[in-house]
Amino acid sequence: MTAQTDLKEFLTAYLVEAEEHVSVANAKLLVLEAAQRNGRHDPKALREIFRALHTIKGLSAMVGVEPIVGIAHRMEAFVRGYDRSGTAPPLASTDVLLKGVQAIAQRIAALGRGEAAQPASLSLLGELDALDPTGAELVERAGPELDLAPELLDKLVPFEIEQLVRSIAGGMRGVVAEFFPSPERAAAGFSINSVRERLSAFTEIVRVLPRSVPVSPQSPGGLAFVLVLLTDAPDAQIAAAVGVEPELLRAIHTARVSPAPGVPSLDAQAPLDHEAEDALSAGVRRGIVRVDVARLDQAMEGLATLIVTRFRLARAVADLAARGVNTRELAEVVTDNARQLRDLRAAIVRVRMVPVSDLLDRVPLLVRGLQRVTNRLVRVEVEGGDAEFDKAVSERLFPVIVHLVRNAVDHAIETPDERTRRGKPEEGLLRIACRAHSNTRLELVVSDDGRGIDREGVARKAGRPVPEGDAGLLELLCIPGLSTREVATTTSGRGMGMEIVKRIVVDELGGELQVATELGAGTTFTLRVPLTISIVDAFAFECGGQRFVVPVSTVDEIVEVDRSDMVQVPAKRDGGPELDVLLRRGQAVPVVALARIFHMTGTPGAAQKAIIVRRAGAPIAFAVDRMLGQQEVVIRPMNDVLVRAPGISGATDLGDGKPTLVLDLVALGTTLDAGNSNARALP
Amino acid sequence: MTLHVIFTVGEVEYALPVASVFQMETFSGATAVPGSPAYVLGIVTVRGRVIPVVDLRRRFGLPAVPTTLDTRIIVTDIDGRVVGLCVDRARDVIDLDPAQRQPAPALVNERSAGLVGGMHARGSRLLLLLDLAKVLTEHAHDHEPLALPSDQAHPRPALPG
Repeated sequence: MTAQTDLKEFLTAYLVEAEEHVSVANAKLLVLEAAQRNGRHDPKALREIFRALHTIKGLSAMVGVEPIVGIAHRMEAFVRGYDRSGTAPPLASTDVLLKGVQAIAQRIAALGRGEAAQPASLSLLGELDALDPTGAELVERAGPELDLAPELLDKLVPFEIEQLVRSIAGGMRGVVAEFFPSPERAAAGFSINSVRERLSAFTEIVRVLPRSVPVSPQSPGGLAFVLVLLTDAPDAQIAAAVGVEPELLRAIHTARVSPAPGVPSLDAQAPLDHEAEDALSAGVRRGIVRVDVARLDQAMEGLATLIVTRFRLARAVADLAARGVNTRELAEVVTDNARQLRDLRAAIVRVRMVPVSDLLDRVPLLVRGLQRVTNRLVRVEVEGGDAEFDKAVSERLFPVIVHLVRNAVDHAIETPDERTRRGKPEEGLLRIACRAHSNTRLELVVSDDGRGIDREGVARKAGRPVPEGDAGLLELLCIPGLSTREVATTTSGRGMGMEIVKRIVVDELGGELQVATELGAGTTFTLRVPLTISIVDAFAFECGGQRFVVPVSTVDEIVEVDRSDMVQVPAKRDGGPELDVLLRRGQAVPVVALARIFHMTGTPGAAQKAIIVRRAGAPIAFAVDRMLGQQEVVIRPMNDVLVRAPGISGATDLGDGKPTLVLDLVALGTTLDAGNSNARALP
Repeated sequence: MTLHVIFTVGEVEYALPVASVFQMETFSGATAVPGSPAYVLGIVTVRGRVIPVVDLRRRFGLPAVPTTLDTRIIVTDIDGRVVGLCVDRARDVIDLDPAQRQPAPALVNERSAGLVGGMHARGSRLLLLLDLAKVLTEHAHDHEPLALPSDQAHPRPALPG
């Protein structure tokens, strides 16, 4: 394992976790603010803000993102004072804190894009510093007890320091080891993960800190991991586990056991430290694992190959039965196996589900920002966020919700003055409700009590007749480039974008979109989207005048069809067609023309490319006319028995509004392999 | 009285209760699905859903004709299963009295392999009622088998060089 992958693994986990705490901080700041506006204090929300900030700081320090540490530290220090005194921070500070959280979020996003986190602006740091931490005795940490390098000490959280101090006082040895990842060490079995694994057998790993070091023969990746350990084992054993000389280990000593006057004792600080511990280990405690969606996709792919194997098994059993063998017991096993595979698939799908609240919880923050810019007063009601849907649907739906909310606040809901004139409450209402529409669909309703959509105005703008029903109106609204706004606004761009809403909801997700509007009374958008979608990276190609896509993951290689690399194998019967074999790196690969398998009127000589896939290890090549490119596609199931055919796993939309077939060439190859001319025998 | 959509396939008029009609579409081509029954034109997207389209001419063994401006896809929804029916023409919606429905004569039933479930006489017009569940049932022998490299029936064009 190389240094880069080590760091990348750290970073991915960091980004996911940090983002989560950022959204908690945001949400709770709004809760706190709402309470304050009503003259109340919400100490629970404040506590959670503190925990989120504290965790962000700790995590960021761990991966060395100093700008975020700086911002989070200042905010945490401020919040901690109020958390301790049990009083509410001044209302005005919420804005500054939200700004701080936003600055953190921006930097996390930058890291996610592979960019560096920019240092915090001086004006922001100034604003944060100017916050008045009333009654906050800012006790930083009980660091002086340990003779650790200040930069290392700085990155340990109080809980870890306490753990070190206590354990060392209790007779354990504290040891600092350093591990420099390099390709040679990885080849010798020393990666940070294997080191960690070995150490965990006989030491307590207090902390693993990556730090950047100058590039040298010792550390070719410019990266080192500092391991802070507690152990009873001898140095030699630790050194062997890390793969370094025992002389390179450093012992940690407690400088003084009794606290210096003026510094609160560790015991006095213990309650807070435990909270820090709670915050940091919250994920672990709740038994939650964060997983990259790509890993679930891998599991799903593995499952797909299992299903293909099951097909083969079922066929083999059927063949046996046809020959008069008693297969009753075998058949039962096959049936059980089918059910288990179904259950497994359902289990994997369930893992991908996230609560809709993940999506909807972001709305109040969005509206809060929009109110400012647009001078509107808006009350947000969010209802029913406990339904769950696929993470991929959630991600795709977010821009849609943002768009509909922006439109509602910026275009639909009138200014407070105007609302008063029209006899409406000053405060506009934006309502987002969500419910499971069926077992497979989720319904989201975004409604406002604003001015409604002016049909005549929209029709004029579009240069079309005035639409009769709501469906006709929606069609006009979704005309690309249609703007019902004369003036461009910063919040809603040029008022465009219903076309994007429609493209995502209807074309990409395969959902439905409806509008209902009444002039002067409000507008309601209803979205129905599938709970799950499956998205894959796919190659698009053309064959026999028809377009197809095939998932990239199933393709071994794409090669030019070149006669000089091909060998014709004599057919087993006279006059029968020959089978072509392609020589690829000395290996014989059978070539079949996809157009012929599919009975398409392919132009002879049209096949320019061959897509090589592997089924059960042996490669097979499908000759196709030409490749069209690579893109991410959403696969829609084709469930109807009329169109269930071997080698076809679903349909997708390449953007022309017409379905394009998604092929499973691996399964198709397996079907051909069976030598069964009645290929429909596939279950 | 029940509202019915009246459509034409070949020379014959059929009636379909509107309750099982999801919507009507003009026909602008379908994506062929290799390996599906011959009478399946292919798939189309209707309101974001991918559905099969059955060519009723082929289903009834009539010769194919080019599509015209009159060609319609009747999108039917039977117990949640959504399938499109490609018909020559679909214009009227009329009220029919279920009480006047007549069972299909035995000979009709036999000749149509049970696809015709009943009929309505309306003046000089005879309207056939389809048993949609039967119409949309897959028939294994109707499938085009996938060709294999050793398949004699379809001589394969030589692979280009």
